[in-house]
Amino acid sequence: MTTTPSTLPKRDQSARLENWSRAFYRFRQSWLSVIGLAIVVALILIAIFAPVIVPFPDHVAGGTNTAARFTPPGSQYWFGTNALGQDVFSLVLVGSQVSLFSGLAVVLSAIVVGGLVGAIAGYFGGWIDEILMRITDLLLTIPSLILAMAVAAALGTGVFNMIVAISITWWPAYARLVRGEVIGKKEEQFIVAARALGAGWPRILGRHILPNIMSPIIVKASLDMGFAVLTVASLGFVGIGVKPPTPEWGTLLSVARADMPDYWWTAVCPGCAIFLAVLGFNLLGDGLRDVMDPKARR
Amino acid sequence: MTLLDIKNLNLAMRSFEGETQILHGIDLVIERGEIWGMVGETGSGKSLTGLSVSRLIPAATGRYLAGSIHFEGRDLLTTDERAMRSLRGRRIGMIFQDPTTNLNPVFTIGTQLVDVALHAGHADPSILRLSSNASGRERKKAARRVAIEMLDKVGIPNAAARIDDYPHQFSGGMRQRVLIAMAMIGKPDLLIADEPTTALDVSVQAQILKLIHDLVAERNIGVLMITHNLGVVAQICSHVAVMYRGRILERGPVGDVLKRPAHAYTQALLNAIPTVHTKRGELRGIGDIMQEISR
Amino acid sequence: MLFYAVRRLVLLVPMLIGLTMLVFVIARLLPGDPVALAAGPNATPDVIESVRHEFGLDRSLPMQYWTYLTGLLHGDWGVSIFTRRPVFEDIMTFLPATLELVAAAMLIAIVVGIPLGLAAAVYRNGFIDYLTRTVALGGIAMPRFFLGLILQLLFVSWLDILPLSGRFPLIEIPPEGPTGFYTIDSILAGDWYSLSLALQHLALPAFAMSLSPLATIMRMMRASTIEVLQQDFVMTERALGISNGKILFKYVLKNAMTSTLTVIGLYVSWLLGGTVLVETVFDWPGLGLYATQAILSQDFMPVIGVTLVIAVIYLLSMLVVDLLYGVFNPRVRYA
Repeated sequence: MTTTPSTLPKRDQSARLENWSRAFYRFRQSWLSVIGLAIVVALILIAIFAPVIVPFPDHVAGGTNTAARFTPPGSQYWFGTNALGQDVFSLVLVGSQVSLFSGLAVVLSAIVVGGLVGAIAGYFGGWIDEILMRITDLLLTIPSLILAMAVAAALGTGVFNMIVAISITWWPAYARLVRGEVIGKKEEQFIVAARALGAGWPRILGRHILPNIMSPIIVKASLDMGFAVLTVASLGFVGIGVKPPTPEWGTLLSVARADMPDYWWTAVCPGCAIFLAVLGFNLLGDGLRDVMDPKARR
Repeated sequence: MTLLDIKNLNLAMRSFEGETQILHGIDLVIERGEIWGMVGETGSGKSLTGLSVSRLIPAATGRYLAGSIHFEGRDLLTTDERAMRSLRGRRIGMIFQDPTTNLNPVFTIGTQLVDVALHAGHADPSILRLSSNASGRERKKAARRVAIEMLDKVGIPNAAARIDDYPHQFSGGMRQRVLIAMAMIGKPDLLIADEPTTALDVSVQAQILKLIHDLVAERNIGVLMITHNLGVVAQICSHVAVMYRGRILERGPVGDVLKRPAHAYTQALLNAIPTVHTKRGELRGIGDIMQEISR
Repeated sequence: MLFYAVRRLVLLVPMLIGLTMLVFVIARLLPGDPVALAAGPNATPDVIESVRHEFGLDRSLPMQYWTYLTGLLHGDWGVSIFTRRPVFEDIMTFLPATLELVAAAMLIAIVVGIPLGLAAAVYRNGFIDYLTRTVALGGIAMPRFFLGLILQLLFVSWLDILPLSGRFPLIEIPPEGPTGFYTIDSILAGDWYSLSLALQHLALPAFAMSLSPLATIMRMMRASTIEVLQQDFVMTERALGISNGKILFKYVLKNAMTSTLTVIGLYVSWLLGGTVLVETVFDWPGLGLYATQAILSQDFMPVIGVTLVIAVIYLLSMLVVDLLYGVFNPRVRYA
């Protein structure tokens, strides 16, 4: 034991580095993934800098300009104005904040709750597993959009309540995923060794199992981001969720629906924003899956 | 007439790295009643030679640089796909290595046998023992009858009942018998068997070899048996060709080649077979020997 | 297989009891007072109390659940505070509209998606392949409600060839029949005029709804066909002279269908749960609109009812998929 070569950890790190560079190479090979990444990065930048770059900041704050209502797209208002004379482009730019933030929050809270439930169920097994998974399965059969709508409506409007409502319907999928992964890992040699060394279950789960099951979770999360953005917009569209004057893509579309078909531009800009955001996250997620989980490649 | 005459066959395959020549001037003549064993290591080109005879190498990746393959006097390399298809399954039968993956898992063996029989019967109605103006239903009935007879012949017990079973309901050896039945149902004149016994355990191997041997003797057909196992060659082949890196190094009647190998590579192959006299740690690979030879 | 089906149906019972319990608890745990809403803003505390008693909301939660569960079995699914009608009747009124929409969307998705996926796999990296992959990427990312709006803009406002919304013209009498599907009922009655009206109204919402499952089915079909085409048995079939058409449409198709089938089953429930969006765009009088109205007025019973109906249809469609799975794949054992 005393002759263990001291160079081993170093080699391990360079191997990891090599893995990363190879993964990055594979990711770059697919130009669709790169486009996805570009869209997502652009979205994040827009969300961060939206207050600075919008052409009409006062419209975002709720200011109206009835003299210029329903102006068609032109040089002053790139995507026209709505019924209140507000610049649609400005509203859509700022709307990215709500969509991205709540999408991210939904996915993260679903990972935390679902991950915890799944890890406990998978690690302990037995009746704990039975009960937790039966509840999970039952929740999965309930139509998620209707459940989210009901919860959101009962909690009242607002970004936070909407996030809570959607998260309630999202964690079961992660619970299933994490449970499966934990069961697969917990009988492996290094876990048995850690247990033999007297590590407690929080330590084994957190330090030994969790880092080894991150790839499938990250892949699923990135694929889910697009769907989360879509769900947020869906709630806004049916009139549950964020209320004006806070700009939100789904709500903008729902309001614009009343002004169709004569003032079609009020709908086209927010609709395209949702489409692009979802497309970007889907492409990125596909690319990440090919890199991190080559077995699942289709 | 000569059954199969391969002359100076040169094949190049395209891949992401570019085009590489795989076969370098293969010459081989097979007459009826002969069982040719083609031995060589993995990647030596023996399987591609077999696929070339059936013209199953996709045109997108494979290109014939030179040579000809004459089957009963007709050059297969210039035959169109339509005519080629009427030869396959009828005049030329093929058996592949792994009986678990070469049968379609979601169809009964009967369905698969009947389709091959119908195809062969289309080219030659006498296989179904029908006149050429028989109706579709008559053909199907006849094809099923022929399929049951064929299953019986390859030693599937209770063939009439088992014809409606799915592949997963058979053992590995039985599945290979079914595949042999599929290859032989069209009464081919040439059988190409690509490692037909490699995936089977040794006792089953011997049974399958005997089955092929008996069918060949009965029908007087020619066989190209691709294998890497010299034991198989010694057991059933009348002739042997030794392949290495896309070339045939040595060929001839099995007794001559195995007893008095003229080429050092053949010698090395024979030496690599462990016997009861081989001492522990004495197993030898071929790689080092070939380096010595090429030097 | 029959035994398996019966056993699965029996196993549905505890599942459904658990489901009712879960949905009921969630509904009651949520804040908001439907009674106050129903009684109106000017109701005195006495009136509110009497309304509360009328709907049985003054008893303990387990008691309320028990009453609800026994009621369910008798076809008494509670009363909608909003429509003042029995929930069961409401659901039976709106369900056929939703089912017809979902069935039409699924039909489009399957009939178009499977051949296109197959073609994309066969002509891999060819024109059709790129076309279908682009459509698939866009189809999955496209919000159904936005697509609906665009379709309305295109086919109603600009081309003016299809009706804007609704299920049937208000001034006409819709066909009546055993299925509740206007299309099938009018065919059964031989009423071709009604059929054409029903189809005109159905076309846009069904298409808006079908794009996402179509894209997924196409993708799945392409991937599994490519996988099957690389299997050894395809080579054997070719080597023995089976024609390419027979190999593709008989031997490969059946293998590739198994994984596609699972996707189809999952999508049935996904579409049912998501009809809300398309129904809102097209004012389609189905379960989705009904549920939305109930949710907005914090009306418990219809929401619970709709949720249960959709969950049951989901469980049944999964059962059908599992049974069909056995038809396509003989290796599946019903144990």
